[in-house]
Amino acid sequence: MPLIATRSLTKRYGSSVTALDDLTLDVEPGIIGLVGANGAGKSTLLKILLGLLQPTSGSATVMDMDVTTRGPEIRQFVGYLPEHDCLPPDVSATEFVSHMGRMAGLPAAAARERTAEVLRHVGLYEERYRPIGGYSTGMKQRVKLAQAIVHDPKLLLLDEPTNGLDPAGRDEMLDLVHRTGTEFGIATVVASHLLGEIERVCTYLLAIDAGRLLQSAPIASFVERTGTLGVEVEEGADALAERLIAAGLVARADGHSVLVDCPDERPYDIVRDVIHDLGLSLTRLEQRRHRLEDLFRTEGRTDDAA
Amino acid sequence: MTRREAAVVPRESATGAIYDLGYQAYDGPRLGRRAAVSTLFWASLRAAFGLGRSGRSKIVPWGLTAIILVPAAVAGAIQAIVPGAPSPFNYNNYLWEMQPLLALFVAAQAPELVSGDQRNHVLSLYFSHALARGDYALAKLAALATALFCLALAPLLVILLAAVLVSANVPAALGDQLGNLPQVIGSPLIHAIPLAGLGMAIASFTPRRAYATGSIIAVFLVTAAAGGILAEAGRGRISQLAPLLNPFVLLDGTRTWLVGGIISDSPVRAADLALPVFGGLTAVIAIVGAAAVLWRYRRIAA
Repeated sequence: MPLIATRSLTKRYGSSVTALDDLTLDVEPGIIGLVGANGAGKSTLLKILLGLLQPTSGSATVMDMDVTTRGPEIRQFVGYLPEHDCLPPDVSATEFVSHMGRMAGLPAAAARERTAEVLRHVGLYEERYRPIGGYSTGMKQRVKLAQAIVHDPKLLLLDEPTNGLDPAGRDEMLDLVHRTGTEFGIATVVASHLLGEIERVCTYLLAIDAGRLLQSAPIASFVERTGTLGVEVEEGADALAERLIAAGLVARADGHSVLVDCPDERPYDIVRDVIHDLGLSLTRLEQRRHRLEDLFRTEGRTDDAA
Repeated sequence: MTRREAAVVPRESATGAIYDLGYQAYDGPRLGRRAAVSTLFWASLRAAFGLGRSGRSKIVPWGLTAIILVPAAVAGAIQAIVPGAPSPFNYNNYLWEMQPLLALFVAAQAPELVSGDQRNHVLSLYFSHALARGDYALAKLAALATALFCLALAPLLVILLAAVLVSANVPAALGDQLGNLPQVIGSPLIHAIPLAGLGMAIASFTPRRAYATGSIIAVFLVTAAAGGILAEAGRGRISQLAPLLNPFVLLDGTRTWLVGGIISDSPVRAADLALPVFGGLTAVIAIVGAAAVLWRYRRIAA
């Protein structure tokens, strides 16, 4: 029994907008990245799984329960972090998270206990007794995560969990999501338009585009294909690229960097020598993994061609 | 099963006094939809009186509660000092006299219960928990109706208490007054349910609290004014029926029909209609109001 299963799931808004188009997928527990451009149908899929939206056609089950008929039952075991603000400004994090725990069916005492525990886990301490209105975006995002896990869900749906956060906040949030999925062992679906984030925390990738499934596979199968060397220099990237190509390598300049194909060990020596010959100052030399972006781009093209 | 092990291991392996318990899985009961609805009802009822909220949220509900009690308390006090003094108030006319207070409570507290959830998008969280959309609507309606019932019941209980305490023979007076229980309980009930339906129907259609409060006050003012003006200016049957535009006239007619006791200055008598007509129109307000609230929450995007 897959955790999530959809069969020919289709959602149209009105007669013109198709958000999900004949989507069929099976999702097993893990940390699943749901990636796609804005408007690809990520939020729509999450909302259908929650029973917040009715599909136009097709079916979806969560833990083998039909989302259209057993919504309240499913939602006892599902945590949801919406994309947008969803917190009342005038109550404290403690009150709010505990209230939402009870909304998920927890008895009052259990809701209180677990609230204290999950707020600690997301890193909210003294401030948890103050009204949420005074919190920073990062703190609010933690409260949103806390209310999503207060009832120890079997499935956690996170819609753009790093929305609106600064780089440091993003890192902390991604760490939290990773911990939630691994240490806490909660099956998690992370919807994001940022491939880099998905790559960092997820073990499995679902890529959708225009409501259709583009990719469904373990992340490792994408990122393990190595073979690109990134050479970052202060200046002279173009000259470096020319010399490397002249030396028989496959290379291209990309801003301050030169990307060199490395099928074997040979290019390293050549790169070292050429940089020395040109007298360039080397900033960084790194083994690039195949980025998901590259693959996404390629897949997109193939898709267009087909 | 791995998740359970992962959760328990730190606890078992920990020997020090201070250690991180790690994430604890929850194996206890999940009470489901009914418990969620009941929690929302009680939380909303508390919110209607500002309980557990800031002092500012208590001003309006408790201010109105105090004001609605004052006339009953003063009348009771006068009777205690001057035995046999006639009281201007009774179970039948008290809520008729206090209708602006009931209207203000609806106008202030119906938006208090629902506007914020829409404005702050908390609705999307409620709807992603163990309740259905209709449950949210019904819990909020029931909470407002219960709050109104308490507000309306309190002064009638003061009247009852005063009547018992000032009498020479308390047990006998208590027996007498218990015979009035249908009025004491029925009248607040008849007022609370339709007013909650009307107020919620208006409040649920806007996330802006001020608009909601303004609209509810406007509805009460306009209906009362239109009813009053048409009654004065109109002729014959129009003048008699015009007061029916005012929901409080309908409520009073329904009260007269169900628990008795016509009030001399209420337009109910002048309308010269069968009393069940008032009851029917009141039921229409309650049912249409509740249906509008249910419809609204079924449609609203979340």
